[in-house]
Amino acid sequence: MATTATASVDNTIEVPGRRADLVTGNQTYGSITDMVCRIAEEKTPAFWYPAFGASSLVALMFVSLIGYLILVGVGIWGNMNPVFWAWPIVNFVFWVGIGHAGTLISAILYLFRQNWRTSINRAAEAMTIFAVVCAGIFPGIHVGRAWLAFWLTPYPSLNLWMWPQFRSPLLWDVFAVGTYASVSLVFWYMGMIPDLATFRDRAKTKYRRMIYGILSLGWTGSSRHWMRYEKAYMLLAALAAPLVLSVHTVVSFDFAVSQLPGWHTTIFPPYFVAGAIFSGFAMVVTLLVPVRAIFKIEHLITLRHLENMNKIILATGSLVGLAYGTEFFIAWYSQNQYEGFAFINRAFGPYWWAYWTMVTCNVISPQLFWFKKIRTSPFLMVVVSIFVNIGMWFERFVITITSLSRDFLPSSWGYYQPTWVDGLMLFGSFGVFFTLFLLFCRFLPIVAMSEVKGILAIQNHEKHGHGDHGSHH
Amino acid sequence: MAHKHKTKKEPAAPKSFGWMAEFVDEQQLLVAARKLRDSGYTKTDAFTPFPVHGIDEALGIKPTILPFIVLCAGMTGTCTALLLEWYTNAFDYPYIISGKPFASWPAFIPVSFELTILFSAFTTFLGMLALNGLPKFSNPVFTNPRFDRATNDRFFLYVDSKDRYYNRDAVHKLLKDTHPESLEEVLEDESSADIPQPIWMGITTLAIFSLIPLAAIYLIRESRSEEPRFHIFLDMDFQPKKKSQQTTTIFADGRVTRPQVAGTIARGQYAPTGSYYLGYDPEKVASLESAKATRFVTLGQPPAETAGSPEEGTPPAPQEPAPTAPAAEAKPTGTPATTPAPAAPTATEATPATEPAPAQPPAADAAKPADAAAPAAAPATATGEVNLDTLPWLTDFPEGVATEANMARGKQRFEIYCGACHGITGDGNGLVAGRAAELAQGYWTPPTSLHDAKIRQQPVGRIFHTITNGKGKMGGYSSQINAEDRWAIALYVRALQRSRNAKIEDVPEGERAALGNP
Repeated sequence: MATTATASVDNTIEVPGRRADLVTGNQTYGSITDMVCRIAEEKTPAFWYPAFGASSLVALMFVSLIGYLILVGVGIWGNMNPVFWAWPIVNFVFWVGIGHAGTLISAILYLFRQNWRTSINRAAEAMTIFAVVCAGIFPGIHVGRAWLAFWLTPYPSLNLWMWPQFRSPLLWDVFAVGTYASVSLVFWYMGMIPDLATFRDRAKTKYRRMIYGILSLGWTGSSRHWMRYEKAYMLLAALAAPLVLSVHTVVSFDFAVSQLPGWHTTIFPPYFVAGAIFSGFAMVVTLLVPVRAIFKIEHLITLRHLENMNKIILATGSLVGLAYGTEFFIAWYSQNQYEGFAFINRAFGPYWWAYWTMVTCNVISPQLFWFKKIRTSPFLMVVVSIFVNIGMWFERFVITITSLSRDFLPSSWGYYQPTWVDGLMLFGSFGVFFTLFLLFCRFLPIVAMSEVKGILAIQNHEKHGHGDHGSHH
Repeated sequence: MAHKHKTKKEPAAPKSFGWMAEFVDEQQLLVAARKLRDSGYTKTDAFTPFPVHGIDEALGIKPTILPFIVLCAGMTGTCTALLLEWYTNAFDYPYIISGKPFASWPAFIPVSFELTILFSAFTTFLGMLALNGLPKFSNPVFTNPRFDRATNDRFFLYVDSKDRYYNRDAVHKLLKDTHPESLEEVLEDESSADIPQPIWMGITTLAIFSLIPLAAIYLIRESRSEEPRFHIFLDMDFQPKKKSQQTTTIFADGRVTRPQVAGTIARGQYAPTGSYYLGYDPEKVASLESAKATRFVTLGQPPAETAGSPEEGTPPAPQEPAPTAPAAEAKPTGTPATTPAPAAPTATEATPATEPAPAQPPAADAAKPADAAAPAAAPATATGEVNLDTLPWLTDFPEGVATEANMARGKQRFEIYCGACHGITGDGNGLVAGRAAELAQGYWTPPTSLHDAKIRQQPVGRIFHTITNGKGKMGGYSSQINAEDRWAIALYVRALQRSRNAKIEDVPEGERAALGNP
């Protein structure tokens, strides 16, 4: 019989010749539906209201600060010549990086036939979209006159009589992030259509049925529809896979195409992409460990899923560490005195504390995942993943601030200091992120039911020869 | 909302769309589906909570053409991006940036890539919906509440009544033999298909409210008003500052534009006199002419002095406060009181020479009393311009200009300031001139060749004057080049001119051999 007991099953043990279960607890198709739909159908859990209230208040504060910024101007930030990019861009790169895990899980792991992606992809994609929303706000308000940010789009204008500059990486970034946001949204929504239809068909009230009915576009589960749907999903995965790699590559071009020592390096694209996957997976772990416990979906998001993500964090964290080392090596090997200075200054200059925070969090802390005890302990993995995200924010801080504050003109060198608005805006963006994520948890299917059922069918089919539909270890 | 189909008000039996069999697992479904296919039915379908492996083959579903549509969309995206980038940056609005070519193809790659993905992804999604006929909210299969489990844990097999071989009883028997969980006919939905009243009202209200901002924008854009436009964001168009001719409360006279402080010279107004700075002999001008010459001499003087000279020499000085005293001060005295004097001398102060006005003799008198009466010899035109051709230009360089060191200095300054337009050799073919000719924008006046006969014949004083004050489109250089250097440049210009028309006798005897001449 299906069980929804909270007792977690350890499916991380490798048994030769036997594929480990990805859906545990003797689930049936119906029990999967129940487990996921229950979250949105039952009474709102007690924790939800205070959590939503707090995060929406923080989001409201963020919106008010944007209003303050528009009224007063960018002088309320700590941005000052020559550090014009400062925190808004640090926050942008931080959030865009986090927004890489979702589509990576959905697209690249799909193409590689990694079945363990199925129960985590929905929440990861949602997280991606919310992170990109947070990311998009910062360059939008950083342009100074935020109400004219639409000038970035290439539209014929009789007032301007000019066009955007397509030879600039900043415009590439507009297109890359814009494409990424819209394609991720389409990917996420398309994946949700069958599950929204499940919500519709289980709806008890007229309006609930109507709202989910409109959202699910009249999905019936017809095999002809499924055939085209699967083809479309595969195509979208194939399109999104290079896209996800291109986005942070283009973000890194913002830096690498300039002439500034510490930025002008060809290692930036792979280094940024590795960092983005690293931070994105860390955020998925941070979110999903509490989510699976609170909503009691440990049989769908199993320990094995979490362990696999931790392995990716370990791999990408080591890649990031290798990139830090390579940067130093190239600075020495090139014998370029400006490059050399930029890196010595990073590690031992006025921002040494940021650099070593970054190294500790990004390079040392994920190495703990070599120990199976740590990477399979929900509590410890959340601790490490939070460290990783702190470290990744500092990485962007180190790259942006240390290089800009020591530019080519020593007379303009200075020590960058953020203002209270900078700090509260970073905090406020988390409010936006968690508000959206809490709404998602409450009203949308947080696990891709139809895909998990497909995995269950394969799992059952493989065991069919043994006449055994259960799972045991 | 989902339970609906066109309702007919007849009491007749509802129309049948076909048979629907329900199974509890996908293996049973596959067996039944194969059986249907083998019996020749083609208008069949299965409804499952997840894509069942093998159902396409079991039902005989043909592959989709979606990938080809997406391929076309992707190529359209690439072409759109490349065309957009080329049109905007290389054709419609070309400008040089970062030393890159206008059509900088490597720099166009990222956006082309992103648009390829964007077009393909949206076509994938919308194409999938279109090929599936979605969104479709009205579907007969939704009629039966049992069917709700198709998205949960049950598997349905459906034979449409429009199938070529459809026979109600034969299909029923065939499906019955596959041992379904249930077997029911899909019937027409009797319930209302109308959208509920509150929804309609909500949509209508929203639609009406959404028109309000549009209407407001239209009205504001189309209406005319004396008031300045309403600006939500003031930008830099409206700053807390004053522009000339506006009023202020800061000064007692209420004027923003301040009169010149006595005893000062405004920036750019300093003009030393004397032939070394003018290029001609002012004494001679005075002896030649009268009013026009006087005017010319004072052309370069600060305006305060120009205004001051007639004042000094005008004995009655009835309007003495008018040029210096602010209007605000004059007002309290009353408008009639300020104009007891004849209007003509005040109004035509600037052009007294064009007619024998009564104010003329005292003005000329004040400036140069020696030549009060010589109006006939005035070289000025009717508009008050001075005829430069008849001025007494210096024909020789002032003392100390024509030295070897000055020639070198002149060459260097010439190449810095003049060569860009006039060319290093003075032929009027400098880089700027060449670029302007290439752009062919129509409003460019080509720089004069310094080897023109007209220029060659000009006295050196006039060349100095041109450098100082400019000519035609060329601006004056007095603010950038000091007088010593201007003379040095004039010296070098002379040397350039002479080099073009030199005879062998002009070259010193010892140097002639170097030219390859006997």
